[in-house]
Amino acid sequence: MVCIRDNIKGGALTETTLLVLLAVHKPNHGYGIMQFIEKETGGRVVLGAGTLYGAINALVKKKWITPSGSEADGKKKQYVITDAGKQKVGEELKRMGEVLKLASAIVKGERGANE
Amino acid sequence: MSKTVFRYFFDFLDGQEKWLNSMAERGYKLKNCGKVTYTFDACRPGEYEYAVEFVGDRAYSKAKDYCGYLEEMGFRTWTKNINFNFSYGKARWRPYAKGMGQIATSPGGFNKELLIVEKKKDGAPFELHTDARDRLDAYKAVRRAYFWAVLMMFGLVAMTFIPDVSSLPAAIAWVFRAVIAAAGILFLAPAVKYALLVNRLNSACKTFE
Repeated sequence: MVCIRDNIKGGALTETTLLVLLAVHKPNHGYGIMQFIEKETGGRVVLGAGTLYGAINALVKKKWITPSGSEADGKKKQYVITDAGKQKVGEELKRMGEVLKLASAIVKGERGANE
Repeated sequence: MSKTVFRYFFDFLDGQEKWLNSMAERGYKLKNCGKVTYTFDACRPGEYEYAVEFVGDRAYSKAKDYCGYLEEMGFRTWTKNINFNFSYGKARWRPYAKGMGQIATSPGGFNKELLIVEKKKDGAPFELHTDARDRLDAYKAVRRAYFWAVLMMFGLVAMTFIPDVSSLPAAIAWVFRAVIAAAGILFLAPAVKYALLVNRLNSACKTFE
């Protein structure tokens, strides 16, 4: 099972978690999520089916994503992000922005690490 | 033409996976498998590839759900045993499992501790677990199963030393102990291998996802 360390001090989401949340902004099924992630990261991130299964189940349990539509019509099980999930993505973007700003400033020499 | 092969793997995960992949490389795709048998059909060499996943730590309903999910993703799956035991109408305690997975029944999750997953080769590596943390959790479950197997074997040997516990003649009792201890040693090798792997992944998790 994938561990989502969302509530530990810094509140950083794993890359897998964030990418899955992004992939289900529109209803998407397991295979579609996998393809979205591979395509959008240019093949840098290729999720294994087992890892994705754990991530989906963990996110459903947290109510950040929810099954969408019914399986009765024979279609593949789809998932979509919830408001709580969107809020987490928003928080993560803010955190990443702060880290990016800090890292850029230090790498460019605009400020030192001890300032 | 079908080909049937008899095999039992003490390294049920990587060992079995490697062997299935070597069979596929030689032009044999899995048709079905029994307790110690594998039946193959001929295919183009290297047309398919295999992964073996341990699901014996999950409740039967969860293992079935996972299996259904993999099938939906386009993989072909088979369930496989890690025991020799032929049983029907029994319930077993699986000390290494979590939650309801600790009770395995037959019919049910007993003798279905593994999933063999088949994929048509497409050039991309066939890995079911890609996230460092997820790989760590998967291998931890395997390590736990092996340690319990070793513990059970040596526990069984220790039990034979309890006075008056068995009516076996001393010589036969020593043969029995030797056989059980040998099985324990055979389980110990993969137990150590997966423990080392878990340690490596643990330290990788500190830096990478």
